[in-house]
Amino acid sequence: MSLITRANIARTLLLGFFLLFTFVPLYWMFITSIKPSDDYLAVPPVWFPAEPTMLHYTAALFAYRGLDGLINSVIISAAATLLSTVLGTLMAYSLARFNTGGQHLSFWVLSQRFLPPIAIVLPIFLIYRAVGLHDTHFGLIIAYTVFTLPVTVWMMFAYFRQMPKSLEEAALVDGCTRWQSLWRVAIPLAMPGIVAAAVFAFIACWTEFFFALILTSQTAFTLPTVFRAFLGFQGAQYGEASALAMVSLVPSIILGILVQRHLVRGLTLGAVRG
Amino acid sequence: MSAPATRFDALSEWSDRHFKWLLVAPAVLLILALSVYPLLFSVWVLFVNYDFTVPGHGFVGLRNFTRVLADPVARWSLWVTILLSTINVTIEFLLGLALALAMVKSFRGRGLIMSLLIIPLFISPVIVGQAWALLLQRPFGPTNYVLSQILGFEVTIGWLTQAPWNFIALVLADVWQWTPFMFVILLAGLTAIPPNLYEAAELDGVDGWRAFWWITLPQLGPMIMLAITFRILDAVRLFDTIFVMTGGGPGTNTYSSSFYLYTLGFTQFHLSEATAGAWMFLVITAILITFLVRRLLKAEPT
Amino acid sequence: MAHVTIKGLHKHFGAVHVVKGIDLAIADGEFTVLVGPSGCGKSTLLRTVAGLEQASEGTIEIGGKVVNDTRPRDRDVAMVFQDYALYPHMTVAQNIGFGLRARNFPRPEIETRVKRAAKMLNIDQLLDRLPRQLSGGQRQRVAIGRAIVRNPQIFLFDEPLSNLDAQLRDEMRSEIKRLHQELGATMIYVTHDQIEAMTLADRIVLMNAGQIEQSGTPLELYEKPRTRFVAGFLGSPKINFIKARLENAGIVFADGQTLKLPAVDAQRYAAHAGKPVIFGIRPQHIDRAPMTGSPHIKSTVDLVQPTGARTYVTFTIGGEPVMAELDAHDAGKPGDEIAIALDLAHFLLIAPENGNVLGR
Ligand SMILES: Nc1ncnc2c1ncn2[C@@H]1O[C@H](COP(=O)(O)OP(=O)(O)O)[C@@H](O)[C@H]1O
Ligand SMILES: [Mg+2]
Repeated sequence: MSLITRANIARTLLLGFFLLFTFVPLYWMFITSIKPSDDYLAVPPVWFPAEPTMLHYTAALFAYRGLDGLINSVIISAAATLLSTVLGTLMAYSLARFNTGGQHLSFWVLSQRFLPPIAIVLPIFLIYRAVGLHDTHFGLIIAYTVFTLPVTVWMMFAYFRQMPKSLEEAALVDGCTRWQSLWRVAIPLAMPGIVAAAVFAFIACWTEFFFALILTSQTAFTLPTVFRAFLGFQGAQYGEASALAMVSLVPSIILGILVQRHLVRGLTLGAVRG
Repeated sequence: MSAPATRFDALSEWSDRHFKWLLVAPAVLLILALSVYPLLFSVWVLFVNYDFTVPGHGFVGLRNFTRVLADPVARWSLWVTILLSTINVTIEFLLGLALALAMVKSFRGRGLIMSLLIIPLFISPVIVGQAWALLLQRPFGPTNYVLSQILGFEVTIGWLTQAPWNFIALVLADVWQWTPFMFVILLAGLTAIPPNLYEAAELDGVDGWRAFWWITLPQLGPMIMLAITFRILDAVRLFDTIFVMTGGGPGTNTYSSSFYLYTLGFTQFHLSEATAGAWMFLVITAILITFLVRRLLKAEPT
Repeated sequence: MAHVTIKGLHKHFGAVHVVKGIDLAIADGEFTVLVGPSGCGKSTLLRTVAGLEQASEGTIEIGGKVVNDTRPRDRDVAMVFQDYALYPHMTVAQNIGFGLRARNFPRPEIETRVKRAAKMLNIDQLLDRLPRQLSGGQRQRVAIGRAIVRNPQIFLFDEPLSNLDAQLRDEMRSEIKRLHQELGATMIYVTHDQIEAMTLADRIVLMNAGQIEQSGTPLELYEKPRTRFVAGFLGSPKINFIKARLENAGIVFADGQTLKLPAVDAQRYAAHAGKPVIFGIRPQHIDRAPMTGSPHIKSTVDLVQPTGARTYVTFTIGGEPVMAELDAHDAGKPGDEIAIALDLAHFLLIAPENGNVLGR
């Protein structure tokens, strides 16, 4: 057997194994979400239910307040994404074009990305309780804005850096104010990068658990925190948990795959072009 | 052709002059308000009593620190954090590198496989934990049944409740979610290696494993540094999957630092002690960041 | 329209001193070309006039008003960039009208002005296209259209032709010259190409390492350069520089051959007699001579490069390569012994120690 085909077989095996590894948990969760509760403990396990049911979905959304969580997640993630994208893009533009604050400012923003959340969430919790922001949409929105800002800033920083500045300069000479040259020239041209940064910010908010767990309870709770209801020994709501998981993961996977071209830039905060 | 000066012109001129600062101001103010101010506020909390079980905010000196330092669970959770981060990042790196090598040449269906492989990155860690819990949990999950069939004897492992299996379960979930992270970055690095390096090496009679050791790894070096650094800094925060899968159990067996501080603050309500612990954790992380990022900047990826 | 006065201008980028004290007065309606080798600070100087860079020191006046602290939009200048800087998300018409829109001109007025400018530049049939659907030459025209539509006081060009192929470049060059004659506006034009500089300029400002080496009409600079740098920069093929000594007998080359100077010149340079000099002469001022008679130098042909009507012939004088532009029929072939006549109405003597042309 030649070396080439041996390498090919190794590659096929590795990719096949890993794809299996990736999809088994997702498959099992999907099946569980449509499996009647009677099939839960069957031996051998039921790999595909004879009579699929949507009962778990309705129960998860209504009985366990999954729908409220979903709505909150949409509101909070969308608002935080909007804020983070707008503020982050403005800041990134300033850093990229004017080197504002030198290296210090940009690295200070970057360092925020690596702060352990536990260190920051404790005092935020205390302050929020004191000023009445605990368990409010607004409170979580601004927390998420700050939490996604470093990524947005650094992604857009890298994006603006590779855009030629002569277009904005032409606009200035043509009679624009700085703001007009930003708004009418730089922003439209950076749109693909801005959209990608926004999608990453949205996914980050959509999947976030830790801040939501601590900063919300009965009103502004997001989708991931609804899973608390299914933990421990409160009975076996496997189907409901799975149904809720499916509802949550489908949108973010679709969004993620739509911007996969920008993935490397997103994961490395713009350090690698990809 | 210039218009007469109006108040609007003056404003526009002022805002152009301070343009660069006006652009950064909102973001900076927000970060100051929600990150720097809370951290400063917590410095005060460090030295007072701030506890929902004990009223009042009297000065307590270093008590918050000494109590955390004296707590064996605190030390255990630090070990758990270090152990799990090391194992997770190592496996993710090796697997990610293997996958990247397998994907670097183009073949039919590569685009599709690429899209499938990155899916775990877009899923909430809570759901990842949930999915693995479903798969492993006794008696519901099919894992023990499948293992029994393969091995030919009855397997009854408590994957979420029995050491060391609970650690293996946590590693599985983390590796499942974050191997694609390593894979994506390393693949970008591999793709950027100029092919003429390999051609030149081939002329010199270097191929296969030796090409990998002599060309691929050194060329990939900065990218490896970057991927591992970013991954470590996230791995040490480990919380969500523990919360969902083992709940820290059995007992305090799978407490990570984040999980320990969370329970200290939010289920036992010793908030000032948790803050002291969080600051110590922050300092450890900061040292790690300084160490890793400095090496990273030295390696200077493109 | 306006005159531009630059006084004591310096520009630093951090520790790098790029523009080192420029004084320049540009008259109303004058076509001034800033020329010099790449990296000498031409663009920086131009961008400082536009307001895209802040002067570190010195003042810039436009129409008698100091504009150091005036924003680009309030300076009433237009600029054509090397990479054209067309807005890729706007049509040609929107590109040209952008400056008018930014200044809140009424819509119908914008339309008529854009049409007029487009007609002037022969791009009126392209108005609905996007920049990426245009050829290089068409893009260049749009960029110029964007400048003229606003009828600004001053036009600034930063190497506008350097991205075009040779033929288009010639065509656009004439177009820009015609435009200047029609509009009569003040224009400042940056290039590193001496041919562009010679053909376009009312006045050339030759820069070197952040300073003005010499300024004047193209002919002045060509015929009466003040320094070796100026003489070497202008003219094609390049002027020949030959190391020699100035003696009472005339110019003595390294191989001992002597060129007797006319009496007026001998007298003019008498003060420098006995010193080493650099003898400069353009290839156009060298010719074949009859082997006998009038003063000549002997040499052997090294290299012959025909270009059609004229032929470039290289040989050595005193061990140094010298190029002559000869009639194709006079060129000879490598190895030929030739006699060379140097046109002594057109030579330069340069002091080797500072590069200054003697006798000026
Ligand atoms: N923004 C800048 N920062 C630092 N150095 C610069 C900057 N712009 C130009 N320079 C430097 O200034 C010198 C002159 O540049 P420039 O004016 O563009 O030269 P020219 O247009 O004559 O080729 C160059 O050495 C260039 O590297
Ligand atoms: Mg230039």
